[in-house]
Amino acid sequence: MLLIRLWNFIKGYVIIIVEGYFLEKFINICIHRQIFLWHIKRIKSKEMTLKVSVKGFKLLRPVCRKTRCRVRIIRKKGLPFILSRYKKRKAFVAGAVIFIFILYGLTSFIWAVEIEGNERIAADVLREKLAMLGAKPGVFKYTVDTDKIVDSLMMDINELAWIGVSLRGTKIKVKVVERKPAPELIARDVPCDVVAEKDGVIKMVIAKEGKTLVKEGETVSKGQVLIGGRVDSKVEGVEPRYVHAMGEVIARTWYEESKIVENFIIERVRTGKVKNRYSLILFNKRISLFFNNSSYENYDKIDIIKSFGIGEDAVLPFGIHIEKFYEVRLDRRELDEEEARQLAANYAYDAALRKIAPETKIIGTNVSWKEEEGKLYAVVVVECEEDIGIQRELGGM
Amino acid sequence: MTVRNERKKGKDKGKLQSKVKEKILEALELPKEAAINASKLSMIDGGNLIIENYKGIVEYESDRIRVNTSKGIIKITGRDLILREITSENILINGEIDSLEFFR
Repeated sequence: MLLIRLWNFIKGYVIIIVEGYFLEKFINICIHRQIFLWHIKRIKSKEMTLKVSVKGFKLLRPVCRKTRCRVRIIRKKGLPFILSRYKKRKAFVAGAVIFIFILYGLTSFIWAVEIEGNERIAADVLREKLAMLGAKPGVFKYTVDTDKIVDSLMMDINELAWIGVSLRGTKIKVKVVERKPAPELIARDVPCDVVAEKDGVIKMVIAKEGKTLVKEGETVSKGQVLIGGRVDSKVEGVEPRYVHAMGEVIARTWYEESKIVENFIIERVRTGKVKNRYSLILFNKRISLFFNNSSYENYDKIDIIKSFGIGEDAVLPFGIHIEKFYEVRLDRRELDEEEARQLAANYAYDAALRKIAPETKIIGTNVSWKEEEGKLYAVVVVECEEDIGIQRELGGM
Repeated sequence: MTVRNERKKGKDKGKLQSKVKEKILEALELPKEAAINASKLSMIDGGNLIIENYKGIVEYESDRIRVNTSKGIIKITGRDLILREITSENILINGEIDSLEFFR
């Protein structure tokens, strides 16, 4: 039903009034001559309205003469009539065509470079390198050779494990996977010791090769040899053997951090006053719009960039840059002792955590308080369990 | 087509033959309207009526439609009757249909 309606709309049809005495005859003859009628409605005793296709309407004239009916068009509907209306408006059509061309033209340029996945490599560095290879906003899309860019970037930047460059609409999407720095390995045939990387108390030593020099429960300091690469012979007079010592040395380690306990904190409170600075972005240039320059003493700034575009990938080189300035009042808030201590302890704990490698097992935390020069300090000790052994060549440091 | 030709020669003979044909179709459980010149009426809730295989429209008013078929005239009465679609085989009537009458 919908399909038929759509078809009729595309082909165009007219709504007509047929006036006469032999309307049944009119319908019958029409059908006999393969003129398709629909929506026949009787409105008066000698009048009816009906819909007929444009093609069918042209065939109605002889039928009218035969049945002595009169036909009047009341409405023209469908695509052909709409199009013919626009035929007269040449400027409008030209505008539409130009618009499409401009849109097409603009979408064949690169307008954005998106980089994701980088942690240690700065995005700016990547951007610069990409620009040097011809992938920057404003260049013609079809000149960008993604394969070449991938190859040169892989050659240039050592930290890259993998890079993917793809063109999506007007965007270049760069996905980066960074290489994990490989540990410095000592060749398997070079004799070495396993030494302590940091201070700790030995919990367990599993020597795969070499001589275990420390016992469980022993305190070791940084640099101390844990598993020796020099194995003395039991038989006297025989030269000691030098091996490539390996093994795991699990030890308890401690990380300490302290923080002065302050009885007040300074809070940033937004006053509710906001100022917006609008800029127009046109082809990578920023044009500042109206803004009164009286800025606040303390403020939070939030940048909002709204790009015009079709969907997510087809970004156009126009946009609005809104900088929101929120005025901030610095409030000094007095804390009671409990709260102050808690805050300092939390701060110290966070600081200690930053020093601990992410995969380390934490087995306990201890908070203590000490006074120094009349000031109270929160001391947080985090106890961990980790492998502290690293290999070091014999004789070397 | 044979039925029609027979009819031209003699009505009684034709009628007999069509009756025999009908019987055979009934025995074979074939759709009748396909083989002999019968009309099929399908109706949905007294608002939509489809007449398949008709001969012509005899009368059309907004409250009364008479359709000619091979077996006689079907009279449809109701209100706001519209010929929604009309082809050489089918008529689709829309409106509030009150009654159907058959004149043989």
